[in-house]
Amino acid sequence: MKSRYTTALAALIFTASACSDLLDTEPYQQLADGTAIIDEGSARAALLGAYSNAQAYYSLNYPVLGYLPADNVQFNGTLNQYLQVDQNALTADNVIITDTWTQIYKTINAANNVIALVPDVLDPAFTATEKEQVTGEAYFLRALGYFDLARGWGGVPVVTQPTRQLTDGLGIKRSTLDQTYDQVLADLIEAEKRLPETATRNRAVKNAARALRARLHLYREQWTEAETYASEVIGNTAAYTLVKPYKTFFTAPFLSPESIFELSFSTADQNNQWNNWYPSQLGGQYTLQPTIGFITLVNDASRGGSRKTLIGSVTTGNATAVYGILYNRDAQRDDPAYIIRLAEVYLIRAEARAHQSGKEADALDDLNAVRSRADLTNLNLTAPADILLAIEAERSIEFAFEAHRWFDLVRTKRADDVLGIEDERKWLFPIPFAEINADPDLANDQNPGYL
Amino acid sequence: MQKILLTVILLYSGLTAYAQNVTLQGRVTSHEDNGPLPGVSILVKGTTTGTTTDADGRYRIDAPPGATLVFNFIGFQSQEVSSDATQPINITLRPDSRQLQEIVVVGYGEQSRKTITGSLASVSAEAIRNIPAPSPDQLLQGKAAGVQVTANSGVPGGGIFIRVRGTNSVNAGNDPLYVVDGVFINNTNLIRTGLGNQTPSNPLTDINPSDIESIEVLKDANATAIYGSRGANGVVIITTKRGQANTAARINFNTYQGWSWAPKKFDVVNGQQLAELENELFLNDGGAPAQIPYRDRAVGGAGTPQEQPTYNRIDDLFRTARTSSYELAASGGNDKTRYYIGGGYFKQESIVKPSEFERYSLRINLDQTITDKLQIGTSTALTHTWRNVSSNDNNPAGVINSGLFPRSNLPVYNEDGTFAKYGNFDNHIALIENLNNDASGNRVISNLYGSYDILPELTLRSSWSIDFNDMYENNYSNTLILAGQPRGAATSSLSRDVTLLNEQTLTYHKTLGQFNVQVILGNTIQKNTIWRTQLSGLQFPSNSLETIASSATQTGSSQKAEAGLLSWFGKAGLTFRDKYIVDASFRADGSSRFGASNRWGYFPSVGVAWRAGEEDFVKNVDVFDELKLRASIGITGNQAGISEYASQGLWEGGNNYLDQPGTAPLQIRNANLSWEETRQWNVGIDIGVLQNRLIFDLNYYDKYTSGLLLNVPVPRKLGYASQLQNYGAVSNKGLELTITGNILQSGPLKWTSSFNISTNKNRIEKLASSFTSGSRDIFLLKEGEPLYAFWLYKQRYVDTQTGDAVYEDLGGDGITVADRQIVGDAWPDFFGGFNNTLRYGNFDLTASLYFEQGAKIMNMNRFFLVHGGTQRNIGYYPEQLERWQKPGDVTDIPRLTRVSSSNNYGGTVQNLSTRYLEDGSFIRLRTVTLGYTLPATLLSRYRLASLRVYVSGTNLWTATPYSGLDPEVNSQSGVANTKNFDWATVPQPRTIQAGLTLGF
Repeated sequence: MKSRYTTALAALIFTASACSDLLDTEPYQQLADGTAIIDEGSARAALLGAYSNAQAYYSLNYPVLGYLPADNVQFNGTLNQYLQVDQNALTADNVIITDTWTQIYKTINAANNVIALVPDVLDPAFTATEKEQVTGEAYFLRALGYFDLARGWGGVPVVTQPTRQLTDGLGIKRSTLDQTYDQVLADLIEAEKRLPETATRNRAVKNAARALRARLHLYREQWTEAETYASEVIGNTAAYTLVKPYKTFFTAPFLSPESIFELSFSTADQNNQWNNWYPSQLGGQYTLQPTIGFITLVNDASRGGSRKTLIGSVTTGNATAVYGILYNRDAQRDDPAYIIRLAEVYLIRAEARAHQSGKEADALDDLNAVRSRADLTNLNLTAPADILLAIEAERSIEFAFEAHRWFDLVRTKRADDVLGIEDERKWLFPIPFAEINADPDLANDQNPGYL
Repeated sequence: MQKILLTVILLYSGLTAYAQNVTLQGRVTSHEDNGPLPGVSILVKGTTTGTTTDADGRYRIDAPPGATLVFNFIGFQSQEVSSDATQPINITLRPDSRQLQEIVVVGYGEQSRKTITGSLASVSAEAIRNIPAPSPDQLLQGKAAGVQVTANSGVPGGGIFIRVRGTNSVNAGNDPLYVVDGVFINNTNLIRTGLGNQTPSNPLTDINPSDIESIEVLKDANATAIYGSRGANGVVIITTKRGQANTAARINFNTYQGWSWAPKKFDVVNGQQLAELENELFLNDGGAPAQIPYRDRAVGGAGTPQEQPTYNRIDDLFRTARTSSYELAASGGNDKTRYYIGGGYFKQESIVKPSEFERYSLRINLDQTITDKLQIGTSTALTHTWRNVSSNDNNPAGVINSGLFPRSNLPVYNEDGTFAKYGNFDNHIALIENLNNDASGNRVISNLYGSYDILPELTLRSSWSIDFNDMYENNYSNTLILAGQPRGAATSSLSRDVTLLNEQTLTYHKTLGQFNVQVILGNTIQKNTIWRTQLSGLQFPSNSLETIASSATQTGSSQKAEAGLLSWFGKAGLTFRDKYIVDASFRADGSSRFGASNRWGYFPSVGVAWRAGEEDFVKNVDVFDELKLRASIGITGNQAGISEYASQGLWEGGNNYLDQPGTAPLQIRNANLSWEETRQWNVGIDIGVLQNRLIFDLNYYDKYTSGLLLNVPVPRKLGYASQLQNYGAVSNKGLELTITGNILQSGPLKWTSSFNISTNKNRIEKLASSFTSGSRDIFLLKEGEPLYAFWLYKQRYVDTQTGDAVYEDLGGDGITVADRQIVGDAWPDFFGGFNNTLRYGNFDLTASLYFEQGAKIMNMNRFFLVHGGTQRNIGYYPEQLERWQKPGDVTDIPRLTRVSSSNNYGGTVQNLSTRYLEDGSFIRLRTVTLGYTLPATLLSRYRLASLRVYVSGTNLWTATPYSGLDPEVNSQSGVANTKNFDWATVPQPRTIQAGLTLGF
């Protein structure tokens, strides 16, 4: 009888031991982090993932932070986080702020992985030149990330190593704005060294790095360097020209000769910003709308010129809705995120030149190049201050729905004069509340004026 | 006698060539009180011929001479009688003392209720019949103390909120574990069609409630610890009907037809009122009187208020909805084989167009004795469901939203006859006519077992189970609705969850002297696999081409994940002299979801009980028929919130760029990740008095859940937002009382009654940091506060001079976000049910009340429709008419304005005011049923064994201070940590149904 008990117990144990690998499951659509970058294919995939992360913050959040706090765009919806941006009444727990911050740092971590791991990949098919190009693109994306952080938040923590464990970032506090911009510059120098001279427009190339560098110098008020790098790009007339009519650059198939760097989307990888702009008759939410002021301005033949194609209208019954159509691919949902266009480089050079005495005429030429593309008459100004104001006005219309207007008014310290935001502390975004809470290195280091 | 028989036989043989049967009749009574026993099964031994007794205990059966009749009745000893006995053959059945002890189903076995040391609630099939609800969990409402059940909305087949003894978890899921005939069933909603934030389906609707024999809810740790890392939220054991040995075949046909409607509908202002409000708003905000928007058309206005038309959209949304149910079941058995076979069809329309739910179900339960030691059997259920899914709730493209929110003076159609749309709302008629979201589900829950008696006291049982759940969805949005803009959109998706389960148990049961010993040892091997495939197409050539093949652009994706669970468990119970009971259980769970350094979890429990009523000194008092003191303590776990690979450091594919594959970091490794752990102790007392006519069951429990799975925020500079960690803690403490009364037992009127009431105190004990949840961050999770706490600005009053709302200003520094505070929660102070059954002759009457006291509801319909002018595309509730208009007005509704600095409806407060937070207490007559069982004498003429007809009403009466349509509401059921949020939700229907149950 004892043997029967033994048999019964043995039966139990036997069945359970038959499946020892049950508890070690491997994921199907994820990779263990140690095996993410091991050969050419996986290295390239990791780089594309970094671009994909940049898409995430540029498809809606970053442009919103660039135009909505200023005067061309208003919010007409119920979501508090957008209202706060529109009314320049941000709180540190605003989810657009938190999401953008997070998405940018994700892009940076993705780039850090590529920069740290690709040089050591052992794959005979992966040549040194190819590795250089891949890391060069990662340097560019990291530069873009830190630049976008710095112009929104001021100095930020600068992390340049890939994250493996939670303790990795310990001790990294906020850098100053200058230190952060220095990191951008360093990355752009590395990027320019490694990138190809081709005119690819949706991947980083040498001229994209130069154009971003011109913008960096403009923000840092380093006028001669800004002019130098802008000129390097503009001089490349075979690859880059201002397109006519204006709307060409935002008309499919995109990637116009004016584009220096844009992030492409596709039907399989959608950009749905159109949905925020389009009225409900056309299937959108109509929460982002051009302001009455902007509609008047862009329709003014002497100010907007052919740029009035930035807006459209639709009439149902006796109600007419005027809406922005920079993002217009409602069916294909493949509107690009426009990051650097040649028109901007012209206006960077114009502004840099206007700040250098004796170059006013050259500055005016650059400005008029952009104006004439929009079918406007040339301006004839002489005083640097007037030229600068004209450039500011030009940028406002030219980049109305791109990530510029707010940052322009902040960098030129004109946010009070133009928008009436007296409290300069509101000119910077708050560090996300969640970040201050989660990171001991940021305790008590919120931007002034925010809780 | 023999002469008579001979005569009878001759007579019969004269009528037909083969019928030599005699007709036997008689009456079956109880030995105890000589009362009639209805429903006793009578079988001609060795045949399948049989019948049952009628309400009066009488029977009539044809049998060949010399046959043996077997009388079987649950709770009584069976009896055999020769058909040659003197007519009428009257039988008295003696109670089976062994069976009279109430047997309840517990984890891995059955047990006499007497020897239970923990806390569980049993609900019988009888208690839940006639409720027109498609799922068994919904039927538990008000039936079991400590089990809170509320419907999320009135959509048939939709999600249910169910909590056993409060909410333990923040992220890991709080639904109990469901075990159907030994199969751990998957309770994941598979419908992926976006519905705002509502959970679109309740997977338990795949189980036909009519097939259920009993439901047991295991509540305390001693009852649930045997389920280890999945037991913390309580366990619901569903046992389905099986055939009885040696009973005649019995065929039951059951049908009912129901008609449902909304007891209350939305109400909005008419066109004139709307225009007057808008004009007043314009003036309040400094507009020139000559420029008011609603002025004469001749001077450029939109017409005077009096000229404004009113379009009623609300009535278009609702309908009288039909419910139909048909079921056919056969059951019976001989000494070797027992069977239950049931098929059913159920269809229920939603009272808000166009949703509906349909179910086809089939169940086969078989048991076969092969030798005197070996038995095999199966419990198999096949279900096919179909839903027309339509969004409501938190979704501008929802049906109710499209009818409720647009302004009432705006026409439904444009002048050219096309559908008019306003703001981001769909046209409600277009939506109702064109919503085309099909969800079709197929489910197999099947178990195959073999059981072998190695020794008389030792049984080995092995079972093999599958839960196969498929959901196939096909949605097409044409260009008439927003989702189909601009040229049509379609998705097709297949979701499949499969659980494979193998389980062995070894049961030892022996009585040694005055000791009764039971030991169970077992193991379980479980594997879960999920698959998801989705295709979508955009741009269709025409509205009549609906399949993705016709679309211009197509995208697709698929996912797969696996998880394994390996368990060992055991439990032992020892009873001495039927007075002193001690039992203990233990489970070890190894899960692939846990971190590598924390792979095995251990879950012990122990319980003791003392049946003091059996002691002489208590017996001598002669008051108590039962007096039992119970105590238990144990540890259970919850691993529901850990996704398959949550502990690993991972990169993810799908981060593509330029349509080339890209990868990006996804999560940081956490090798220590483990289950959430709940420590629970329970003390209870059972008291029976007045010959057990009144039975009290009182429990106090204390639960502390630690290692709460939280996405703990990490420094985002690292490129990650959070990491899943075992960090927080939540406690639940509560008291439960059940009183069962067999108030009238003898006499023509019989009355049984059951009352239960429960309280639960929930508290968040530890969090990484406070965080918000739900739309507009209305819920705040904060240490020291309960879950489901509303976070709002507290309106004190409306200033009678300025007309502006005055809010509580905590810092005295003006209204800032720091003044937003926790102002109440969605927990009831107490809840319970009161269930009554009365019988008089052939009539039966049951009535069930359900009540909840003290829970708050955030009424988002008022939030949106009492907006003071800030919502340009949304109309108004009549409540807005009560706004402040002139100095001296006393009201809660501030003056109309869009000026944000007033904080009336916008500004810092963003309308998140306690103005819209309401008391959601309610008591409702859940069901009332009047049935009549026809006398058998009448039926025998039609060869019917039994016939009961009934009418029943659901939600006929509700008392509540809540101003919304229904206090049973949970619009954001798909969002964790939210409850009692009312936003354009389908209310609970009021239903009248009529049905009949026919036995052959």
